[in-house]
Amino acid sequence: MLEARFESPLASLAAPTDTYVSMREIAERGMIDLRGSAGDRKFMAAAKSALGVDLPKQPRTTATWGDVRVFWLSPDQWLITCPRAKAQEMADQLSKDLAGIHSLAVNVSDMRAIIRLEGEGVREVVMKGSAIDLTHGDYPPGTVRRMRFAEIAALLHVVEDNVIDIYVFRSFAQYTWDFLRKAARKGSEVRVFPKAG
Amino acid sequence: MTGKPYRLASGGNRIDRSKPLSFSFDGRTVQGFAGDTVASAVLASGQRVFGRSYKYHRPRGVIGLGSEEMNALIGVGVGARHEPNLRATQIELFNGMTAVSQNRWPSLNFDIGAINNKLSRFFPGGFYYKTFMWPRAFWKHVYEPVIRYAAGLGKAPEDRDPDTYEHMHIHADVVVVGGGIAGLTAAEAAAAGGVRVLLIDENPVLGGIADLTAGKVGEGSVAGYAKAVADRLAALPNVQILSRTTAVGHFHHNYMMAFERVGDHDPSILAAGAPRHRLWKIRAGHILLASGALERPIAFANNDRPGITLASAVRGMVERYGVAPGTNGVVFTNNDDAYLTALALKKAGVNVQVVDSRARPQGELVQQAMAAGIEVSPSSVISKVDGNLGVKSVKIAAYRKGQGRVITEKKVDCDFIAMSGGWNPALHLWCHNGGKIRFDDGLASFRPNTHTDAITAIGAANGSMSVAETLAEALSAGEAAAKSVNAKAKAAKTKLPAVEEPSRGALEAIWFAPATGGYNEGNKHFIDYQNDVTAADLELAQREGYESVEHTKRYTTFGMATDQGKTSNLNGLGVLSEATGRSIPEIGVTTFRPPYTPYSFGSIAGSLTKELFLPIRGTPIFNWHKDKGAVFEPVGQWRRAYTYPSAGEDKHASITREILAVRNKVGLLDASTLGKIEIKGPDAAEFLDRMYTNMFSTLKVGKCRYGLMMNELGFLSDDGVTVRLADDHFLMHTTSGGADRIAAWLEEWLQTEWTHYKVFVTPVTEQWAQFAIAGPKAREVLSKLEPDFDVSNEAFPHMSFKIGRMGGYPVRVFRISFSGEQSYEVATPANLGRGLWDAILAAGEEFGIEAYGTEALHVLRAEKGYIVVGDETDGTTTPIDVGLEGLVSKKKADFIGKRSLEQSYLKGPNRKQLVGLLTEDPNDVLPDGAYAVREVKDKPPMAMIGQVTSTYMSPTLGRSIAMALIENGRARMGETISFPLEGGKVMKGKIVSPVFYDQDGGRINA
Repeated sequence: MLEARFESPLASLAAPTDTYVSMREIAERGMIDLRGSAGDRKFMAAAKSALGVDLPKQPRTTATWGDVRVFWLSPDQWLITCPRAKAQEMADQLSKDLAGIHSLAVNVSDMRAIIRLEGEGVREVVMKGSAIDLTHGDYPPGTVRRMRFAEIAALLHVVEDNVIDIYVFRSFAQYTWDFLRKAARKGSEVRVFPKAG
Repeated sequence: MTGKPYRLASGGNRIDRSKPLSFSFDGRTVQGFAGDTVASAVLASGQRVFGRSYKYHRPRGVIGLGSEEMNALIGVGVGARHEPNLRATQIELFNGMTAVSQNRWPSLNFDIGAINNKLSRFFPGGFYYKTFMWPRAFWKHVYEPVIRYAAGLGKAPEDRDPDTYEHMHIHADVVVVGGGIAGLTAAEAAAAGGVRVLLIDENPVLGGIADLTAGKVGEGSVAGYAKAVADRLAALPNVQILSRTTAVGHFHHNYMMAFERVGDHDPSILAAGAPRHRLWKIRAGHILLASGALERPIAFANNDRPGITLASAVRGMVERYGVAPGTNGVVFTNNDDAYLTALALKKAGVNVQVVDSRARPQGELVQQAMAAGIEVSPSSVISKVDGNLGVKSVKIAAYRKGQGRVITEKKVDCDFIAMSGGWNPALHLWCHNGGKIRFDDGLASFRPNTHTDAITAIGAANGSMSVAETLAEALSAGEAAAKSVNAKAKAAKTKLPAVEEPSRGALEAIWFAPATGGYNEGNKHFIDYQNDVTAADLELAQREGYESVEHTKRYTTFGMATDQGKTSNLNGLGVLSEATGRSIPEIGVTTFRPPYTPYSFGSIAGSLTKELFLPIRGTPIFNWHKDKGAVFEPVGQWRRAYTYPSAGEDKHASITREILAVRNKVGLLDASTLGKIEIKGPDAAEFLDRMYTNMFSTLKVGKCRYGLMMNELGFLSDDGVTVRLADDHFLMHTTSGGADRIAAWLEEWLQTEWTHYKVFVTPVTEQWAQFAIAGPKAREVLSKLEPDFDVSNEAFPHMSFKIGRMGGYPVRVFRISFSGEQSYEVATPANLGRGLWDAILAAGEEFGIEAYGTEALHVLRAEKGYIVVGDETDGTTTPIDVGLEGLVSKKKADFIGKRSLEQSYLKGPNRKQLVGLLTEDPNDVLPDGAYAVREVKDKPPMAMIGQVTSTYMSPTLGRSIAMALIENGRARMGETISFPLEGGKVMKGKIVSPVFYDQDGGRINA
């Protein structure tokens, strides 16, 4: 039997030890891109029944049910994250529940790479590559948004105060990793508004 | 003048005498103390000459105290770490530093270029324009290289910069520029309102020139007050302080850039991993501009001799570094402030007298100076300076405002001069983004007027020159700024301490001090020191008709040096005013441009260098390609394997091998970069009918169809195979380079034109790794990979697809071909891609499978006459031009570009049409892009009838092949046309069908 062999985008890289925040790849997460209209009540109800949670309608927010987390991406697009093993089944379930309702659910678990940054200073590390100000009160845990990061498009998820996940298209994984490694290099700490709550 | 003990026995609030340092200046070891600048330490060592001037190579010394310095530009560091053109007054000393002077040869004290000074009557304003116009060719080969060598400042390092740099972004409610008493007071008032405050200051120590300011705040000194506020700010959680950071520019929407020198002052910081410089990109709610004021020099004869310094800089040298400028000096002033310098010198035991151009100086400081026994000469100017490498004596002449010549004068020995022509508010940042200014007669300078941005100038930057005024203004501006960004901000409730300061007499503008004899001949009155522009140059420009100040600026280069006219601007306007009889406001000002002071290229690049210079995209198979020794080719940001030379093979050999493997056995191509877009909705089929030239609504589920896309102009923009997954669900493939552009194109039509369509578009390019297995043995390889679907030719014909599994791999398999061979494109989720790739190679081993790269792919498709959008098309090519009229629907009511194809010039005769070409000599490969001509002549011009679009040596056919766009090409089958090449050779080629191989398509369907 031909066994499938799994290899994540950053599988060949070791976690660095010369950075002031920790960096690692999250490879075990599945992702589903869901399109539909937030104004379509039938769509919203069917999505909820498949996912167990209402799709968030507020920009930059997330909604969570167990190990399923839904990111608002636009008024007609959401990114659903779940354990990788469940992703195909969940995408199929969504497509089934949404049959006859104008929508599109696609398993895109392999389309992006996810890099987790953790530790004191994660926000300023991201600010070295993005014009958004993560030290501002606008970015509490649970915030999700897309941004221009360094020279590419990226998606940002504030998991906890000092934990940030960055999602980039798979082919940019190495570039993103290299940028973050340089930005988080020990000795390059900025300590921006260090005493701010 | 070296070796004299210019370091005073005591004093120096910046230096730590218990920490001696040593460094090298022009190869000489110089001693200094922690806290010194290069300027203060070198001056303390008795050396006054820091460099030679730009045009006349005149010896120059220090004039300023900080970032306004325009003369003492030095180079710091060695080898790749050398940085030229730094202001010696800003460079903080560290042990072991290497610094050099600039623009001198062979040495500072003897410089051959100084002959320019002797010849200066031949170097008037506009000299370069007048002299080097003829003969024309001399400019490039003779004049420019010589001028560039002789002029210019420091030398750039030749090696790659070994340090790192970075950018940092921040939003702040209130940004305060300048950490003097105005900035500190305002920052504290704003911070009390609870908003976030960013305080930027270019110096290593906060306080501005509080330590050089007379008076008392509360019970203590002005400096004591500044220190107390700075300490309180440092403890506040909502205040960020950036020291050694220069706000270099102010832009639209309160965007500001600031340049932080993180590690220049201490190599151990760099060694610990810090970036050398950091460029801050700041979005401000409100900006408080507390950038202070800059002291003006005075235009008197030979006012550039080393030892002639701004009065504030002399005071700073004494108070901060315990360095005396000499033993016997003259303070030349038109205002009261310079008397503080005289008093400081007197206190330090330096002999000094004051020359004041005003008739009746009588402020409190003047009284104090007189009481201290300092000789004051009112109604006087310096009319002459003797000395070359330093000051030996001056002539002091009687002066009355408006009087143009010297009547009586007396000689006075001295070894330094401290000058002060008054103070100019530092308006640069105010003006960068359109702030208006107005002339203030009291200051004899411009001050801020109105601005459309949320920015307020305070303190000296606003023209408020007293401590009391400054503090009151700063407090209310700080509170107001906090309120303006947050209406709920609390009031600071700060009570200002009482201020005592000496009353000041009025200043009297002096733009030109008359000199003995004709000026400009050995008697230069410098206005712009850095660009060597004199008062005479400015007047000459007026006489020659360059009347507008902007014309004068460009003609004389006044104000165009790296200091952007900080010290020269107003003096130049004053000279122009007196020369023309117009007032300064009538003359107007030139434009202030960023940066305030130069900042490093490294900081502009930030971390985006080397591997981060350009984002490089790799497919899931990238590492395999690399390990296999692939030569890579850029396709957009992707790096695709071009070919895989094995040991001993050149690229030509490996490409041939790869092509023959596909034709004769089987090949494997990494096609993961192909654009993939899922399109779903009840209107999806109709939508595709409009996007493509050909019909997609008739495509059956499970089938594939090649489609052409035009833009609105009727020109080809992309192509690819689209498959129907379900009635309302399609998967579109685009070219690798077109993936993002086409996805955006689809969205744009849906969102802006056909909003009634119910269609969703989701790009999924990177979800899939996709490989082409192509060649006569392709099916045999596929069937070894445990497909759970029937791969027989009947069950799985050309232009159909299957969704299923191959062993443990979920796959989508499309039977499509870009090589002309039996071919299957296998897609599997990207993270399984490498595993499947390895499995395919293993399964294909017995059939002689070879990985092939993009060049083999291109030859294979050219042998079949398949076009590449971007090779066979150039943005003005229609489907009909390339012979694909059959794919332009006659039945569909409308589609993008349809109407344009009806335009006469796209339907007319003599369009260039795609044809094949066979050269007369089968070994001749036409150069890519070669032009065909109607008739070969001895030399151009020759009428061109088309050009080669693709050209290869075809291993399959054993001869060269080419495709070309040729006028009326399809009507010329069999005709031989000529391609004159560089060097005189003419290649001839016969026009044939572009399909060179397997014209009946038997191999694809096999």
